[in-house]
Amino acid sequence: MKRQRVLFLKENYVLRVLKSFFLAGLFIIALLLILVHKIDISIVSGVSKGVMYISSPLIHIATLPAEGLSYGYKKIAEIMYIYEENERLRQENSELYLLKERMRALQTENRIFKKLLHHIDVPQTISYTARVIAENDNAYSNSLLLYLGNAGDFIKSGYAVVNSSGLIGRIDIVSGKYARVTLITDINSKIPVVSQKSRDRGILIGNNTRNMNLIFPPLMAEFHKNDILVTSGSGGGLPPDIPVAKIKRAGVDTITATPLFSPSELEIVKIIAYDVMPDKETAKELE
Amino acid sequence: MAETKNFCAAIATYTIPPISIILIDLLFYIPRSSDIWNFIRLVPFYTGIYFWSSQRSDAFNGISAFLLGTIADVMSANPLGINIMTFLCLYFLASRLSAYFNVKRFSYSWLLFALAITLTMLFKFLITSIFNRMWIPINAALLELLLTITLYPLLARYYIWVERRYIHLEDRYEKI
Repeated sequence: MKRQRVLFLKENYVLRVLKSFFLAGLFIIALLLILVHKIDISIVSGVSKGVMYISSPLIHIATLPAEGLSYGYKKIAEIMYIYEENERLRQENSELYLLKERMRALQTENRIFKKLLHHIDVPQTISYTARVIAENDNAYSNSLLLYLGNAGDFIKSGYAVVNSSGLIGRIDIVSGKYARVTLITDINSKIPVVSQKSRDRGILIGNNTRNMNLIFPPLMAEFHKNDILVTSGSGGGLPPDIPVAKIKRAGVDTITATPLFSPSELEIVKIIAYDVMPDKETAKELE
Repeated sequence: MAETKNFCAAIATYTIPPISIILIDLLFYIPRSSDIWNFIRLVPFYTGIYFWSSQRSDAFNGISAFLLGTIADVMSANPLGINIMTFLCLYFLASRLSAYFNVKRFSYSWLLFALAITLTMLFKFLITSIFNRMWIPINAALLELLLTITLYPLLARYYIWVERRYIHLEDRYEKI
């Protein structure tokens, strides 16, 4: 009798064992991935970048028709309210004119004081504008997907992302022309902040809701309701004095704050390239 | 020649369920003014994995769930592995439930989906909380669960259409 030339004639013992352990094996791989992610190995970020490189353009293509519709709707709304807007802008302009003169005087005064005190300024930063193409704002993560265009080569992980309200988040992964931003409300976000009024410091941590917690405040700290928290610049990761959140509740045990941005207004954002951290060789020398 | 054709048909059959899930999920990523959309971004994944693994286990396996989990982790900015484990858990539950219960009847299928997704989300809630060493907001997780259960019939219709339109497994090739 001629033998059939196939790999498996019928389910043999090895195959049966392999099948039963197959799902368990996949579970173990997933568990290992979580553990490896925790210790931050480059292979995991490589996998994330690879998947993002493929998925981000697809998401971008899917969002294009909606972007077009949204653009058209906004233009029509703008035309409808153009007279009211014009009137408001005129009024605002006259107020700003007065402020401009006052600001010039203060700037000059500030320059003189800095010279007297031999103050070292924060280095100049370069900023890039990017468009938000998708957002994730749920119980498990708070993030944004940005389209960077040709600026992709200049953007690095850790750069601050801001809008007109203040700090939104930090760049997490850059892959080609796209970047993922971890919002300040995300459970993995930790921002060193300082109170704009009292200059008391703390760490603002996200918990995937609009109520962030301020941890490690000093013993006799003076945090009050509606105080603005700004970035402290400690650690060198973020530029100082960017508004982050407003204190909602300043209790004895817990201090909660709400972010200054609202998720629905995130359309165009600014990325601040702030590099004050020393390179590896300089860091070694400093040590 | 026939063997090659058979092999290509098998590969195509295994590719259709993940592609159908990814394509419908892309629509859920279109920016909208309402915040409620943020809670249903992963619903096509949950419903799709349950549907395909319970209704057409011959066209969906653990590797498909694993790959979909990787994509979902990257798209939703979760730590790599969280959604993979969640989807594998859902895949396991769906395959077990479909082995013991009659999932061909839609009302039973929906009921069993509610059970499977509740257990899966509880599992995800726990592993995410353990990973972050902090409880994630339960209200938002519950809202996501309720929306997922509610949207199952709608998405199941889409998957039924995909199955009828693109997969005729028995006619095209024999099982390998």
